[in-house]
Amino acid sequence: MSSLRLKNRVLARVFTAFPSLAARWGKGLAMNSGEVPWAEPRVPLREAVLALVTTGGVHLTTQPPFDMADQAGDPSFREVPVESARELLCITHDYYDHRDAAVDLNLVYPVQRLKELEEAGALGGLHRLAYSLMGHITEPHLRELQEITAVEIARRLAGAGVDYALLVPA
Amino acid sequence: MGLVARAIEAAGIPTVSLSIVREITEKTPPPRALYLRFPFGHALGEPGKREQHFAVLHRAFSLLFEADLPGTIRDSGLRWKRETYPPPDWDEFKKLEPVHR
Repeated sequence: MSSLRLKNRVLARVFTAFPSLAARWGKGLAMNSGEVPWAEPRVPLREAVLALVTTGGVHLTTQPPFDMADQAGDPSFREVPVESARELLCITHDYYDHRDAAVDLNLVYPVQRLKELEEAGALGGLHRLAYSLMGHITEPHLRELQEITAVEIARRLAGAGVDYALLVPA
Repeated sequence: MGLVARAIEAAGIPTVSLSIVREITEKTPPPRALYLRFPFGHALGEPGKREQHFAVLHRAFSLLFEADLPGTIRDSGLRWKRETYPPPDWDEFKKLEPVHR
């Protein structure tokens, strides 16, 4: 492993152990005060199709991993079928400690839990594709995240007739 | 993540986001965020704690229907490793639906 990746992983463990450091880091971020859009919920959960979006860096082992060499992050996304077997999934993300998430993927990618809700009749359905990104995107990639990646995910979800989206961070 | 939530919402799909660092969420607020004072990589809670995961999901979906202002950040009130969680109540989930205002 490169020294950069090793350093990032050590830092990720420190940030996971001491959330106040993350809070301090968050306070230093630039305010992104653009207009916050709003769509009114119209469908009961028990009838709704829900899509899952995660920034936990989950992807199929057959998909290219997120780029960990670029310190500004990787603004691309992976489309992951929710029916994928656990052994076909992995996490590429050096900016958080994902040892627990590797044990129980639901912590960042709660597909099993959402399927249980569906089986109980409490959720209409889980959209067959989940969308996965990595967080920790900074300039110069924020624009690509905002203007290309996010818009493309939204376009696909709207085209599929999804009712709601749940977004889970790393 | 706030930017992605905003894009999805702008396409007409209501979103609810989990947040584990309030200060980061406040800088790029999504339409609706449930704040959990949990460590990175643990938005749903601890590994294998199914009841806890459902408690988080119930709060998230309640917020989806109850929030009435874009940029709402609601504190879940859940303390890390200091709560006991009952088994999921499916009937409570089945009641989750749009609130008539």
